[in-house]
Amino acid sequence: MTTAPPLAPVEVAAKKRPEVTIRGKQVPVILPKWSDPRLKLSATIWAITFLGLFVLHFQVSIPQIAVTVLLCGVTEVVMTYRRDHVLVWPASSLQTGISVAFIFRVAGTEHGDWWSLRGIWLFVLVAALSLIPKYVLRHNNRHIFNPSNIGLAWVLLLIGPSHVFSEHLWWDPLGWRMILAMAVIFGGAFWVLRQVKMIPLALTFLATFFALIALFALFGRTYYATWHPQGPVGGSFYWMTIAMSPELLIFVFFMITDPQTAPKSFEGRLIYAVATATMAALLILVQSTEFGIKVAILSSLVATCAAVPLIDSLGRRIHDRRMGTAAPVRAPAVPFGRRLVTTLRNPVLAAVLIIGIAAPVNTALLGRDKKIQLIERGLTTRKVQ
Amino acid sequence: MSRVDAPVLPEPHAPEAPAAAPGRRALAWLGFVVVLASAVVGSNVFAVRDHLFGTVTPAAAPPAAGRAVGGAPASPDTPTSAVPAAATSLRSSPWWQDVTTLQGSGATSPAPFTIAANALQWRVQWTCSTGHLTVRVPKQAKAVVDGSCPQGAEGYSVQKGPQSLQVTAEGPWKLTIAQQVDVPLVEPPSAAMTAAGTKVAGTGSLYNIDKVGTGKVTLYRQADGGYSVRLEDFFVSPNVDLELRLSSLEAPHSSDEFAAAPNDLVTVMDVTAGSVNYALPAGLDPTKYKSIVVWCVPIKSAYAAATLGGPR
Repeated sequence: MTTAPPLAPVEVAAKKRPEVTIRGKQVPVILPKWSDPRLKLSATIWAITFLGLFVLHFQVSIPQIAVTVLLCGVTEVVMTYRRDHVLVWPASSLQTGISVAFIFRVAGTEHGDWWSLRGIWLFVLVAALSLIPKYVLRHNNRHIFNPSNIGLAWVLLLIGPSHVFSEHLWWDPLGWRMILAMAVIFGGAFWVLRQVKMIPLALTFLATFFALIALFALFGRTYYATWHPQGPVGGSFYWMTIAMSPELLIFVFFMITDPQTAPKSFEGRLIYAVATATMAALLILVQSTEFGIKVAILSSLVATCAAVPLIDSLGRRIHDRRMGTAAPVRAPAVPFGRRLVTTLRNPVLAAVLIIGIAAPVNTALLGRDKKIQLIERGLTTRKVQ
Repeated sequence: MSRVDAPVLPEPHAPEAPAAAPGRRALAWLGFVVVLASAVVGSNVFAVRDHLFGTVTPAAAPPAAGRAVGGAPASPDTPTSAVPAAATSLRSSPWWQDVTTLQGSGATSPAPFTIAANALQWRVQWTCSTGHLTVRVPKQAKAVVDGSCPQGAEGYSVQKGPQSLQVTAEGPWKLTIAQQVDVPLVEPPSAAMTAAGTKVAGTGSLYNIDKVGTGKVTLYRQADGGYSVRLEDFFVSPNVDLELRLSSLEAPHSSDEFAAAPNDLVTVMDVTAGSVNYALPAGLDPTKYKSIVVWCVPIKSAYAAATLGGPR
């Protein structure tokens, strides 16, 4: 989810900040500002998490949330201290932690089992796979993947639907609980996105996604979900439970709109939104289960994040053409094959390439696995969620 | 601005890897290998993910065609014309399937039999009349049966495949062999259900209460005046100690609601997936009831139910 730009050491030195002494050294302490959009985002996600815990029957325990959030927070404090020799309030990683805990579920965890440690290692795994790419897979001093998004998508694919899943697409029958949850999501979205100027991106995604999912519903696509034992979800309910899913809205408002991983240019952001929505819809098209659809949504962003440098470049060219500014004269293009070889010689870029390809491909393969339908229909030994 | 004025930029391309210490570079490549390996596991190609982390959807296996191996009838009610059913990943609660019955007298090696490769275990239920009975299987140190006659009991083994027993006895003996499997049982409708004069007395579809239940339920009034019930393409969350009961409620929706209303036992359920037939106990009049419920005795939980509609 939304993360902060890297610290500017000059600025840190220029302003007077509180300090602590560690091993005889004065270490600056950077606390969050009230205007920080990450705090607003955190407040929104925490509010929905509490709603989920106490009103919407989310199957997550307090230790599962606490371990994930603390692990992420402590990791960022240590990493930032090692890199910049300052103690920074880990707003981004706390945000990553709560996002993971909010979405990730371990099969068999019951609602109300507040102190369950069930599958705690899986929460640790998601937290680790969210943070490691943030510090390792970087390009132009920015991390490439949205931390919680890649952690969630990768673990859901790696461990599989027998053991893990993400929070349901549809939380409750339409009633005051859902209206309250939607109000918090939309209110929080407006509060955060207005500040980070990401409303056009979110609306572009939604317009594209809504149209494609409506098309699928019209052509009779259906899916199985544990919360719909009457049979497959189809028709207008198919559209509503995917396009208006609180999970989808949170993904749109608080994941793809992460300024750190989205393209920089306005045009690039619109391309990125359309590409992510189209990728998500195409991956959803081949899914017949809720698990597959949720992974499809997450994986679409993994794929487009890996392509952000290309999208940014395309966005800049469109911007230049639109504004009538001359495009910079470029040196003769390096042949694609040579560029690919150069990329593959760099383990970091090679890993990004593998992740960007494997996430959507493995997600598409979920659509061929008919056994996931048995899980969604509750016809296995896995506890029905 | 003319093109000449524009700055000349290099074509964007993948940056060269910065020169790094050999150890760090090796670590980076190790990380790449981990990413690649996890991508392969995530694809579940060759079921690699299932093997690594386990799965709740085992490999598809053919269901059992009868309560006895080979689909042979366990009771006169069951016809032998079993139709082969498609392989399935559905699994039942483990149940005992008859394999064979062996009889003899004194020490001997009876006819061999085969235990299915997917059997969980097998048992020998034995009786004998005099002396001591010992039954051994090759490659198993401990005797399957080692007891004094004339008592009877059970012995167990987990060996799969062809089995040649070595029986040591001083008198007549009888061994009933059964294997425990968890594949669904797909029985054809019983002879009584397809006989002329048999009528459908009610049908319904299983729905969830505390657990999962799917499939069709058909109640038959047989030509001989008795009743039987068939569960078809059904699945109920696996457990032991399940019972099939008739309820006076039309559509019970909770365990408490079911338990508070009059109900009666149809049968103890050993199989929880497939298509099975049960004869109702003599004297049980199903016309007094409106639904059928899968009931778990130890925890007093109604797993699933079906409203019996249609002619009664």
